[in-house]
Amino acid sequence: MNGVMLALDPVSYQLPEAMATSAGPIDWLFGVIFWISAAFFVGIVGAMVFFAWKYRKRPGHKSEPTEHYPILELGWTIAPIPILVLLFHWGFQGYIDLSIPPADAIEIRVKGFQWGWDFEYPNGESDNVLHVPKDRNVKLVMSSTDVLHAFYVPGFRTKRDLVPSMYTSVWFRPTKTGETDLMCAEYCGGRSKDANGDELQPSQFKGHWSMWAKVVVNTPEDFEKYMDGLAPDLKGDPAKLAERGKTIWTKKQCAGCHTIDGSKGSAPTWKGLFGKSHKMADGTDVVADENYVRESILTPNAKIVAGYPSPSLMPSFQGTVKDKDIDAIIAFMKSIKD
Amino acid sequence: MSAVDVPVTGHANDHGDPHVNYLKAKSGIGSWLYTLDHKRIGILYLAMVSLAFLAGGIFALLLRFELFTRGKTIVDAETYNRFFTLHGAIMVFLFIIPSVPAALGNFCLPIMLGAKDVAFPRLNMWSFYIYLIGAGISLYSIINGAVDTGWTFYTPYSASPTKNYVWAMTFGVFVLGFSSILTGLNFLVTTHTMRAPGVTWRRLPLFVWGMYATAIIQVLATPVLAITVLLLGMERVFGLGVFDPRLGGDPVLFQHFFWFYSHPAVYIMIVPGMAIVSEIIATFTRRAIVGYFAIAMSSLSLALLGFLVWGHHMFTAGMSEFSTMLFSALTFLVAIPSGVKVFNWTTTLYKGDVWLTTPMLYALSFIFLFSIGGLTGLFLGSLSVDIHLHDTYYVVAHFHYVMMGGTVMGFIGGLFYWWPKITGKLYNESIAKVGWFLVFVGFNVTFISQFIMGSRGMPRRYYDYLPQFEPFHKASTIGSWILGLGMLIEAYALLSAVFSGKKSPPNPWGSAGYEWNTATPPVLANFVETPVITRGPYDYHLATPEELFDGFPEDAPKK
Repeated sequence: MNGVMLALDPVSYQLPEAMATSAGPIDWLFGVIFWISAAFFVGIVGAMVFFAWKYRKRPGHKSEPTEHYPILELGWTIAPIPILVLLFHWGFQGYIDLSIPPADAIEIRVKGFQWGWDFEYPNGESDNVLHVPKDRNVKLVMSSTDVLHAFYVPGFRTKRDLVPSMYTSVWFRPTKTGETDLMCAEYCGGRSKDANGDELQPSQFKGHWSMWAKVVVNTPEDFEKYMDGLAPDLKGDPAKLAERGKTIWTKKQCAGCHTIDGSKGSAPTWKGLFGKSHKMADGTDVVADENYVRESILTPNAKIVAGYPSPSLMPSFQGTVKDKDIDAIIAFMKSIKD
Repeated sequence: MSAVDVPVTGHANDHGDPHVNYLKAKSGIGSWLYTLDHKRIGILYLAMVSLAFLAGGIFALLLRFELFTRGKTIVDAETYNRFFTLHGAIMVFLFIIPSVPAALGNFCLPIMLGAKDVAFPRLNMWSFYIYLIGAGISLYSIINGAVDTGWTFYTPYSASPTKNYVWAMTFGVFVLGFSSILTGLNFLVTTHTMRAPGVTWRRLPLFVWGMYATAIIQVLATPVLAITVLLLGMERVFGLGVFDPRLGGDPVLFQHFFWFYSHPAVYIMIVPGMAIVSEIIATFTRRAIVGYFAIAMSSLSLALLGFLVWGHHMFTAGMSEFSTMLFSALTFLVAIPSGVKVFNWTTTLYKGDVWLTTPMLYALSFIFLFSIGGLTGLFLGSLSVDIHLHDTYYVVAHFHYVMMGGTVMGFIGGLFYWWPKITGKLYNESIAKVGWFLVFVGFNVTFISQFIMGSRGMPRRYYDYLPQFEPFHKASTIGSWILGLGMLIEAYALLSAVFSGKKSPPNPWGSAGYEWNTATPPVLANFVETPVITRGPYDYHLATPEELFDGFPEDAPKK
């Protein structure tokens, strides 16, 4: 099946399904270069195999002295130049189009961290899934909170490094609703052991490869609905606030280490944590109140519970978790404190 | 070739009779450890780079095996990250950069110039020991530490406080750089000052031209690597903010520094491979290379262009659009000298007398694989297409086609080609050809699948992958087994020749190259008398039948 596709259409077989306008010119140029390369390759290897056979060593056969072929030499030095100039031109043109976002683009803030993504929408709400509207220009303003990462959506043919200490950006215009993959394309390490050097379960391994996120292309109407859904009205309803805290627990990847059912993880369970006194690594006793939880989220190394690795495995969430998210987490912890 | 009587002087006096086979001129372990003979130093290097190749190859097979299935196959994620780091760092710094120049170059370059040795034999020995020290420091970091940064050591990841051994590893690379500089310097001076009478620049073997171009890059580019490592050290020790944003540094600056060395280093790797291919093709077509001068100059222009294109590793890294444009334009220029070489080699076959020995099969494989490696470079040089392909397996496949399909094929071809010269023994053609076939097939299976998964969106340096990439990873891993088996057979073919190979005649290939017109294996002083060269190294129509005779002297037809 794949073999047949390969024979019929070697170019599109090599590329993933296109889901944005940026794919068009890139796929076209990919095809042009493929066929130029194929022609050169067949010419060179064809000549090589033919000559090697035709002039093979055999009794009575002799080589002829090499002559000078100035025209030929000049020819194959100069002839490729126009092709190269054209390829450069098309490549650069496409690149410039990818680099200049249209003025009307919707801006989404992207933060990359070891090892996950955070997308903040124009209404100030954030998620770990990237939703974008179809047939609208979308500009991403990106930064990294730790090391280099790269935003890569093969379906959009778009890629850009996230660099700590600077903003980078990409833009695209989705053409199809549906789901596609977002991956990190700049190596950013990995972890498969806890701080004591004990190997974690394979399902707990985290790293460069696990910075995968889902990209969902919605219709513009669904996109608006999705954004509204991120900002529910929580006023005066502790149950809703706790529910939101639980969502944050999964979306901010708290769930990777902190369980909520009392079972042992690589960090203290949240079940029955709030309001109780806990022994710290330095021997002191600390009551887990609002301030303690807040401090632990923003500066995880400030107080470490006895029995857990120091320094803490947990990254600081300074700048990636908002105050109202912390409130929601606290509300959630309160709801499972018994 | 005629000869004049020139008394043999110099270091050879301290090391035995200059007119005896260099392998037998002196014996004992000390005669190897303290040797100043460029041939023996070449062999010491060959032993070390072969060990490095073996180690790098084992890491390659292990990491390919890990990727055979999704999730964990044999090792955990941190171990996998170390595997690919070590594979890359060992292959680049300990194997491929020194492989051709330090091993085969050391052995052949002085002989091809009609010289007794390199210009600075003692420096040559030191360069080997500095290599050993550098390799030792790297090994220390490998054993003690967990270097998992990738061979590019990008900051700020490599600068994090837990990565103490990264600095040991880069310091090892720093030391290795000195070894590389000394070898380059030695070759430059030797080529300029020690050519035998009649070896004019126009009669310089193309292998020497390649070594010469390589030496220029080694001498000029490697100091930048040293500067980079020193800056990393200062940042670590004194907290000077250079590359680490936490200290106010710029991580993109590190990439500029790193690639300012490492891109020219790509040409330190490929130009020597091309140089070997030129020698092999001339010998086995019985014909001067078409466009000799063009090939020589293309090596020099690659050396020069190599300094101007480092930014093409950083198209997505956050450089300005203007620099990106310049680097793309300059990158396309590389295609011209590369194309000139490939076209000239292919045309040399025309009206030749093509003898498909193992070295020739490797040289033709070089053309086949390097063409793929070079042409896929067009995709990566085109800015918009590169945005999609950057940091995917497409890039991995591309540079393996150039580095392994190019340099390593040239290196192995060169080993078989000069093995009789080095050891005085003939290897078994049939076994070597079976090995070649497996290497060629295995290599293509391994890396063609990587091209396809790369352009379909599989990023590099992934411990685990999405289900749609599994068939390609499976194929690639199976290819790596075929490739590994082929390499084992080739190692057996070479080693068994040393122990049980038939004695080689002085010129088993009937080559007109200068190095074949002395004893095989060469005498300690390379030539009994300083040769006077009267023709070019590929002038088959000017060479006498005695010079091209491929049997033993006692069987030679009477005049």
